[in-house]
Amino acid sequence: MIGPNFTLRGRRRRIARAIVDAMVPRWPEFPHDLTEPVLASLESMVQGYPPALQAGFTAALFGLEFLSPAMGGGLRPLSKCDRATVNTRLEKLADHQLPQVRQGVLLFKILISMAAYSRPEVEAFLGYRRREWRDARRKFRDSLVANDPLELPATPAALGAVVSPADYLAFAPALTGPTTAESATERVTP
Amino acid sequence: MSSAKPAGLFEPHDTRGDLALHCDVVVVGSGAGGAASACTLAEAGLDVIILEEGAWYRTEEYSADIPEMLTKLMRGGGATALLGRSPVPYLEGRCVGGTTVVNGGMCWRTPEKVLDEWVTDRQLPQMTAKTLEPHFEHVEEVIHARYQDPGSEGGVSLAFKRGADALGWKLSQNKRNQRHCVGSNDCVTGCPSGAKQSTVQTWLPRFFAAGGRLYSNARVAKISSRRGRASGVTGIITDAYAKRRFSVEAEATILACGAIQTPLMLLRNKIGKRCGHVGRHFTIHPNIKMAAHFEEPIDNLRGTHQAWQCVEFKEEEGILLAPGALPLGFMSAVFPGFGRLLAERMRSANHIATGGVLVDDQAEGRIRVLPFGVPYVRYDVTDADQNKFVRAAALMSELYFAAGATEVYTPFHHLPIIHSPDDIQKLYAAPPRVEDTEYFTAHLMGTCRMHGHPKGGVLDPQGQAWDMPGLYVADAATLPGTIGVNPQVTIMALAHRIAQGLAARLLSARARSTRAS
Repeated sequence: MIGPNFTLRGRRRRIARAIVDAMVPRWPEFPHDLTEPVLASLESMVQGYPPALQAGFTAALFGLEFLSPAMGGGLRPLSKCDRATVNTRLEKLADHQLPQVRQGVLLFKILISMAAYSRPEVEAFLGYRRREWRDARRKFRDSLVANDPLELPATPAALGAVVSPADYLAFAPALTGPTTAESATERVTP
Repeated sequence: MSSAKPAGLFEPHDTRGDLALHCDVVVVGSGAGGAASACTLAEAGLDVIILEEGAWYRTEEYSADIPEMLTKLMRGGGATALLGRSPVPYLEGRCVGGTTVVNGGMCWRTPEKVLDEWVTDRQLPQMTAKTLEPHFEHVEEVIHARYQDPGSEGGVSLAFKRGADALGWKLSQNKRNQRHCVGSNDCVTGCPSGAKQSTVQTWLPRFFAAGGRLYSNARVAKISSRRGRASGVTGIITDAYAKRRFSVEAEATILACGAIQTPLMLLRNKIGKRCGHVGRHFTIHPNIKMAAHFEEPIDNLRGTHQAWQCVEFKEEEGILLAPGALPLGFMSAVFPGFGRLLAERMRSANHIATGGVLVDDQAEGRIRVLPFGVPYVRYDVTDADQNKFVRAAALMSELYFAAGATEVYTPFHHLPIIHSPDDIQKLYAAPPRVEDTEYFTAHLMGTCRMHGHPKGGVLDPQGQAWDMPGLYVADAATLPGTIGVNPQVTIMALAHRIAQGLAARLLSARARSTRAS
């Protein structure tokens, strides 16, 4: 169905699942299978697209389903192949001499990679504590703003007074500077 | 502004039934041009309404979930692309604050060389650096255009600087519309700390303080006219529960829907057909993304999006090199491959510096409306521009290797990885074709250009449509030509100038009418 209630059902879902399954990251020491959550994320993203793009997405799905036997080797449709075969076929299509064919694969690569690599478990596995970093940054900025009562031109002049440049991007930098409007004013006034 | 809802902001659930509104000026869009012009008019004492197609989000609502934020903040869920020899994806904000919510926040004035061209080639003697100076100054003050706090630059920008310094290439420090940017590295999906000074943080609070009203989720469909003069707009409120209509009657109408939506609206309303320039002269500053692997960690999670640009080749060749820190989700899309290959490469994600090169484009695209109102946006990168890209990619590779990179990743299909400085020559030996290159853009402009002569453009020097009095355009579409730098400040400065002129005319007409009565 095209429109705000777009869903991946039936064959569309099977094709999309096969592609997602082949494209999501897997590492031997990574315990999660991301296929279902990324498929859900993909569905939700496409739900937000205008109808014309949803139609294009569906066409790309069926394009890969039926082009891959013709161009990527083998006779079975993509949705009926195992992960290794899907991967091999998609790699062949991604390297095809026709740019339009490559772009079909690229579309899914971008959407799936973006959805997969922004998941918290993947970020944590790769050493990115992004969500904690965002929270820590928000608190740090709140404290900077609280220490920077001058409206204009407060930045970056007032900064040196409260935190050293070397500590600025620390996870939780300690502020040592003034906490009152008067003391901040004294420090930034030439 | 970040938390409390302003009194003048109306979401669909704040109103009932169809709306019939009246005001002095109605502004369509709340991004760089719309918010700047609306605020200027409201502060001049006029009754102003902003209509914004997207929804309003608080800073606290900008989440770490990239797909969710793309769906909420971007037009078409972020899946928008220009058609052409190689499709060019682009991002356009569709929320209160428009693209200023999702841009990198770079603040550059229009280069004087470009302004000189506008004066001579576009017959716009008003566009000198001297006459625009007060507008630039005001804009920079309002949006808080400042250098980064020392220490907030981050590893991606520092690696870039190291390379440029090693080669002796000229760097330019970026001013950004930020107040204590703390390097969250999430500019593109809404600044999570509230440091980026988008219009939601700057122009709009002033607009509300001056008595302005903003209706979110209000999609304009039609420009109304009376005796050939624009008299307001009508459209639909995208209420989840009922289809509701609105109409706004105003003395003047300002379109600020961006370089793609503004010409589409004019074309669908059959305005500007006579001049033949609506939707033409579309330039986009195309860019390509690059990345480099380093032995030592880059720590790319931390730091601002972009602290410097390399301007060594800007004047002579129209090539700009820049770092661009990205969250992991976006970074994965820059690398070649998928699945297992990509996963192995992403193991060393923390050793990656991302960046891009941008060229002053010679090509011009076109925006058209097909039957049934279907938009058709086409832009073909020319071979001349592609030669610039090849040269730019070679320069960027040189810079990264000078900074200590062990591998450089390109967006060229046949040469995705450059393994050593000697490999750079391969780019010249077999230059990648347009069709084999992945592009991107965020700088769309020029589709309703201003021109001193009715036959040369869509808008007169005051920003008013030559074909329809009372209808103004104040966004990136207004720009008389490509500018070669991030366009946000130029858009706001022109919008400020247009709004000041309009306010003066409306207020003096009102004073005359009062005296006469």
